[in-house]
Amino acid sequence: MIPEWMQKIEAGPCACCTVSIGRKKGFVQKAISDIFTFFEECLVNDSIARRKGLLQSLDPRVKLISMVVLIFAVAMTHDIRLLAIVYGLTLVFAYLSKVEIGFFLKRVWVFIPIFAGIIMIPILFNVFTPGDALVTIANLGPNAHLGPFALPSVITITVQGTMLALTFVLRVATCVSAAVLLFLTTPRDLLFKSLRSLKVPKVYVLTMDMCYRYIFLFADTVRGFYTAKKSRSLKSLPMIEEQKWVGNRIGYTLIKSLNMSEKVHQAMISRGFNGDIKILQRYSIHRRDYVACVSVFALSIFLILVSQNLVKI
Amino acid sequence: METIFDLRDVSYTYIRRFEALKNVTLSFKAGEQTAILGANGSGKSTLLSILNALTYPTSGEFSAFGTPIKEEVFDTLEDNEFARFFRKKVGFLFQNPDIQLFSSTVFDEIAFGPLQLDLPPDEVQKRTEEVIAMLGIENLRDRAPHMLSGGEKKKVCIASILSTNPDVLLLDEPTGGLDPRSQIWLIEIIQDLAKAGKTIITATHDLDIVEQISTRAIVVGEDHTIHVDCDCASVMSNLDLLMSANLIHRHMHRHGKLLHEHLHAHSKEHDHVHEPGVV
Repeated sequence: MIPEWMQKIEAGPCACCTVSIGRKKGFVQKAISDIFTFFEECLVNDSIARRKGLLQSLDPRVKLISMVVLIFAVAMTHDIRLLAIVYGLTLVFAYLSKVEIGFFLKRVWVFIPIFAGIIMIPILFNVFTPGDALVTIANLGPNAHLGPFALPSVITITVQGTMLALTFVLRVATCVSAAVLLFLTTPRDLLFKSLRSLKVPKVYVLTMDMCYRYIFLFADTVRGFYTAKKSRSLKSLPMIEEQKWVGNRIGYTLIKSLNMSEKVHQAMISRGFNGDIKILQRYSIHRRDYVACVSVFALSIFLILVSQNLVKI
Repeated sequence: METIFDLRDVSYTYIRRFEALKNVTLSFKAGEQTAILGANGSGKSTLLSILNALTYPTSGEFSAFGTPIKEEVFDTLEDNEFARFFRKKVGFLFQNPDIQLFSSTVFDEIAFGPLQLDLPPDEVQKRTEEVIAMLGIENLRDRAPHMLSGGEKKKVCIASILSTNPDVLLLDEPTGGLDPRSQIWLIEIIQDLAKAGKTIITATHDLDIVEQISTRAIVVGEDHTIHVDCDCASVMSNLDLLMSANLIHRHMHRHGKLLHEHLHAHSKEHDHVHEPGVV
């Protein structure tokens, strides 16, 4: 029987009700929507990896090894002109691999302020990099001190500091560009399998592969939690309540994932898995792979020789 | 016909408290198509899990292909010939496709079983391609499991067990969550496999598919015991039995101004026949 209170139908809100438009998202909502933006981007990336472009046509092992060698060489390079040329090359390869340049630049430069910018800000000033003044920031006068540390009388951004920061930022941008190009142009499963060519143990390759597969499922589960909560939330909860809810859901997700991992293991056993990991690698090396490999190795050796002053340019 | 599975007084209890199966004595013969019917929580999935040697009875005896099934035979790191034979011989379709699809692409998923059989890479490739073609899922070949619909996932799950060519198929709620077209596709596949001589054991509470995919029916009650084990037609016509097992229920609705009550299964919306002159 339906209780009496459930039989009452409430009238809609008064026409004069205030409709307020909030400007801020809750932290949970923001975190979840950011996570899903990331996953949606992953799906877009997967479609890029299936396009018929230059880098997509190369053997994933060749690409992986070449990119690792190139990143190593770029990390050793101090010449800003060479770095600019290599960075320009990554843009050309992105274009030839049918990656939208705007999207590529966004993917690369979103990391630069985080990884390079914050670290390099102090280097700009004459406090850390003495040299020719480019911009004067403050005139502190003689005998200026910051605690036990003596400061120069004039705080400036120096030419040398700026060059150092630019070189560092460009080096990071070039390395990140190479890594992003590798991820964008290689299907995830082939990329993980190609790690075997770097002698990464099978168990790690399988674990990474399965993590990548199940992270989407758990992300979907988390989205389900949040959507269900949202659909039954009549008012905003205090921050502490939101945090409690998140903690509770994290615990539940952990239990659910443990339970699922056990069942997935059973599914693997059911199909003959006995702890010995077997991976089917379907690779074929073509002439273009040799050409690409030799070219990248030659460029990398050249960059290392220049960085060690063994070759003058 | 050869007996492939034999259960003698088998019981199973979860964490020593919750009974899932009680005193089950059953045997399955090669080439049989059997439906295990029961309401949610009756123990159907546990029974399939025991038949697939993934769960071991708490008490009683279970033997497969004439060999007693013991935990020590399967849960060992040492290579075991019988365990390999058993895994090759028996395929298990899990109820939740996300458990079964653990590889990163559909191709890798289907190739997983043949790889475990230590087939040469060319043979693995050939088999995988052939199963993909047989099930008409060429368009899904390089897709990741999280990019598949429910029906597509089920197709890939079936492909993943067929690629090892098991003689015995254990299907746990195969039509669960499928749209009508995918259900028909699945029923036809099961019928084709039955014609090919496969032993098919299906756990389900979807009464619509029972007579289409099986000749024998076993009803597991909510008390976790076997209520009936006989031919499908007898079980499906025994409405009292189906009601006691919570597979159908008494349903009341109106025909114009007349109130009408009868037994009813919810698998097909309001599909029933009235006796002439009775409403």
